[in-house]
Amino acid sequence: MSKNISRRDFLKLATAGAATTAVLTGCGPASRYVVREPYMEMPEYTYNGLSTYYATTCRECAAGCGLIVRTMQGRAIKVEGNASNPVNLGKTCARGQATLHGLYNPDRVEKPTKQGRSATLTNDPVLWDDALQIVADALNNTKLSEIAFLLGTAPDHLFDLVSDLASAIGAPAPVRFGALSMFDSRATLSKASENILGQAGLPFFDLANADVVLSFGANFLETWLSPVAYTRGFAKMRRGNPKRRGHFIQFESRMSQTAAKADEWIPLLPGTEGLVALALGRLVAEAKGGAIPRAFASVNVDEVVTRSGVSLEQLEHIAALVAQAQAPLAIPGGQALGQSNGLQTAEAVIALNALTENLGKPGGVFLSPLAPNEDAYHRPASAQEMTDFIAKMKNGGVKVLFVHGVNPVFELPKSFGFDEALGSVPLVISFATFPDETALASDYIFPDHHGLESWGYQRPATGTMQPMLSGAQPVVVPSFDTRATADVLIAAAQLAGGKLAEALPFKDEVDFIQGKLASLVGQADGSFSAPEINTFTAYFQQHGGWWRNSQEETAPSAASALGKSLHLDAAEFAGEGEFFFLPFVSPTLGEAGANKPWLQELPDPTTTVMWNTWLEMNPETAHELHIENDDVVRIVSEAGEVEAPVYLYPAIRPDVVAMPFGQGHTAYGRFAAGRGSNPADVLGLHFNEAGDLAFAGMKVKIEPTGRTQPLSRLESRIGVYGEGLGEEH
Amino acid sequence: MMTIDLNRVGAKGAIAEEAEGKWGMVIDQDVCTGCQACVAACAMENNLSFVGEEDAGYGRTQHWIRIERFWEGEYPEVKITPFQPMLCQQCGHAPCEPVCPVFATPHSNAEQLNLQVYNRCVGTRYCANNCPYQVRSFNWRDYHTEPDRGNMVNGQLVFSLHNQFNPDVTVRRRGVMEKCTFCIQRIHKAQDKAKSEGREVEDGEFTTACAQACPANAITFGRMDHPESLVSLLAHQDRGVKHLEELNTLPRVTYLKEG
Repeated sequence: MSKNISRRDFLKLATAGAATTAVLTGCGPASRYVVREPYMEMPEYTYNGLSTYYATTCRECAAGCGLIVRTMQGRAIKVEGNASNPVNLGKTCARGQATLHGLYNPDRVEKPTKQGRSATLTNDPVLWDDALQIVADALNNTKLSEIAFLLGTAPDHLFDLVSDLASAIGAPAPVRFGALSMFDSRATLSKASENILGQAGLPFFDLANADVVLSFGANFLETWLSPVAYTRGFAKMRRGNPKRRGHFIQFESRMSQTAAKADEWIPLLPGTEGLVALALGRLVAEAKGGAIPRAFASVNVDEVVTRSGVSLEQLEHIAALVAQAQAPLAIPGGQALGQSNGLQTAEAVIALNALTENLGKPGGVFLSPLAPNEDAYHRPASAQEMTDFIAKMKNGGVKVLFVHGVNPVFELPKSFGFDEALGSVPLVISFATFPDETALASDYIFPDHHGLESWGYQRPATGTMQPMLSGAQPVVVPSFDTRATADVLIAAAQLAGGKLAEALPFKDEVDFIQGKLASLVGQADGSFSAPEINTFTAYFQQHGGWWRNSQEETAPSAASALGKSLHLDAAEFAGEGEFFFLPFVSPTLGEAGANKPWLQELPDPTTTVMWNTWLEMNPETAHELHIENDDVVRIVSEAGEVEAPVYLYPAIRPDVVAMPFGQGHTAYGRFAAGRGSNPADVLGLHFNEAGDLAFAGMKVKIEPTGRTQPLSRLESRIGVYGEGLGEEH
Repeated sequence: MMTIDLNRVGAKGAIAEEAEGKWGMVIDQDVCTGCQACVAACAMENNLSFVGEEDAGYGRTQHWIRIERFWEGEYPEVKITPFQPMLCQQCGHAPCEPVCPVFATPHSNAEQLNLQVYNRCVGTRYCANNCPYQVRSFNWRDYHTEPDRGNMVNGQLVFSLHNQFNPDVTVRRRGVMEKCTFCIQRIHKAQDKAKSEGREVEDGEFTTACAQACPANAITFGRMDHPESLVSLLAHQDRGVKHLEELNTLPRVTYLKEG
């Protein structure tokens, strides 16, 4: 064929070609034109393949909510709640939804790394075989008493594995910690439960069936204990019974997101929550007639009025509501207990429940049941126990430290000196998934999979009355060269041989988990039953756990609750400043949400601020100090100082300033690092009688810096033009 | 079912649609706790982009649903008004529709919803200006592919966050308007499934991402044209109100007041 085709020839050929096509295909004239179709058939209207769904457990906090993750072509697309999981019944919180932004975060530890305590992630690779040898040598060549495990509050299967390992070889038991449990004051709640109700553990407050609810600083709609379960309880309290709408009163010095839902918000003086509970107890007892129980006999109501700033009329009005209620409920929460007198406050509030005879009754207080394979409630370490642990580190009592699931360099207040204490530990091995502050300060990072790539189980500490075990399984193949920490420990123990190998005689993590599930096979009244362990494990994964069908309603005894004389010491406040300082956990970020960009972009429910930290101050106070919105101020306490822009918050006492916890990272990925500030930096070492941190017991000074930093808020967008409706002050 | 003759109330040339529409939503403000779970769920389902601190400060956030609250009164008699999730009301008589010069905001007669056709949109933003609910958001940049969100892998910029994208939903680019679709991809899935099984979509068979996540069960979605459906029953309670009803927009979202 000739290489040169004339224009005439080309046209001839082309015409013939087109005609042939038309004949052969039988198409009409339309096929000769390019049809420009509007893109109406968007992906929304077409089929793009089928999804596969896996049940697992959320690891954004330790509540143990069940998830169903939608995956497609090996990628996790969407998180939904597991409708049959008794804790969350198909629902999730914002942090659970955004867990995918952790899984696919651009800043993960992608391979075993020789970190060498460098300021940034070194990415200096170590082979897993060498990593196992390093762990094996560390376990083998260290005096057993000088090995320490520091674990987060999730997952529980790893805690069990490490506990078994430690007890088998005679090493100290693992220490668990989490900022959420610190701000929840879990040790105080557990201790008060032991003192008043006769059993340590987290009591279960049956919000759903209560008709008058008094909450003493409990932020149960935000991050407290099991927020999804308590939010469901709240909704039922309000709308579950068509004949009544539950009445809800919140006592706290700053209107939290939870208090915003209250019918009455009582801004009392910080530290007087227990006094108010005692006064209410006395007034309720008087209203009901009969003898005043010993618990409330010694309180002087007039004195309470003077000290708390709550008027007598208010107290009498609330007492009358409680006395007439069918199912009144009083809940002691984190910030009321994070005071020097926190334990007494918790006791007073729980005693108030005993007085209204709601223990073990619908709408009252129950003891949370233990999980099916649990021997006792293992509460996370209190802040005071953490100082003991840090002291041991500083004294050279820890030669090898293993850290998993917790970021103490960030989560513990600076005054604890965890950062410096790490300097006294010769070998620090982190199993972090993300390059957080503690991981960077380690010698090695042997990264664990993300929670959605992991096996495991979690025991909900509270949130349901059905004893249960929430199961986790990988929903996607791990993205990176990570390895399950349980597998690392098992393999390292085998490598070390001897007592260590005997302590963990498992093939792998799944083998270990099966061993823990074995006792459940054949048990009656379960969500499913199976004749033998392999079938059981398969169902366990399919259903996302195992739980009993019936509730285990353990009623505490009221006998001892009211016989003890309760009194309340005045709360002590550390420091010289004129403001009470109230740190609270960011409702959207929680303790570890800062690296997830969509959580950063969620507006704070009350201030609508995104991507930053702020200081809440009463507008009147700010006016006196000549402080405006967005003015950066320095918050100075006896323990340190931080800076933050001011948000003029109309619903806070004039003598209180508040600041959210969750930002202020120096590491933890591009979305978290260098953003905002950390209120824990100004907290000093003060504890209550149960050993919890008196985090709400600080006084601070506020100093203007002369700088301003505009906070990005959602609210200015609302309204038609310019600044929004209702934010003028 | 009540029908409003729009021509009689003065809306000349309006699409005379049944006042209730087909799909509807009820939001109970008495139990909404403002927790933002719906906002996060919507973002994950619908490939919403986050815009970062600076653009968020300019009001460019891509929230298809947002939670409004206002301050009322002064300390100590101060209140936060009941949390109010605000999203596209899928108006039966939508102010955004007639102003689009390129018909990127058509009304679906089949679904009785306001559609958004992303690749017809030329970004005039007239629709957003004309929306009394201020629920439309504009893509001021190609947020999903901003270089600082990716990692260089073998000389190529890789965006690991893209792995999470929902393949059923368009990933929008710069210059395009977007808004809540009532999770139309879920509506279509459910309808196709029902059709293949030779039946109607049942009430509660599927729901939107926001309603599915809501821990307080404050959001209910379903068929408004079925009088016995849960959403219909809830919408006709005494507590039910519709926002800016006086504009004759025929909103498909009913809010249940506190108290």
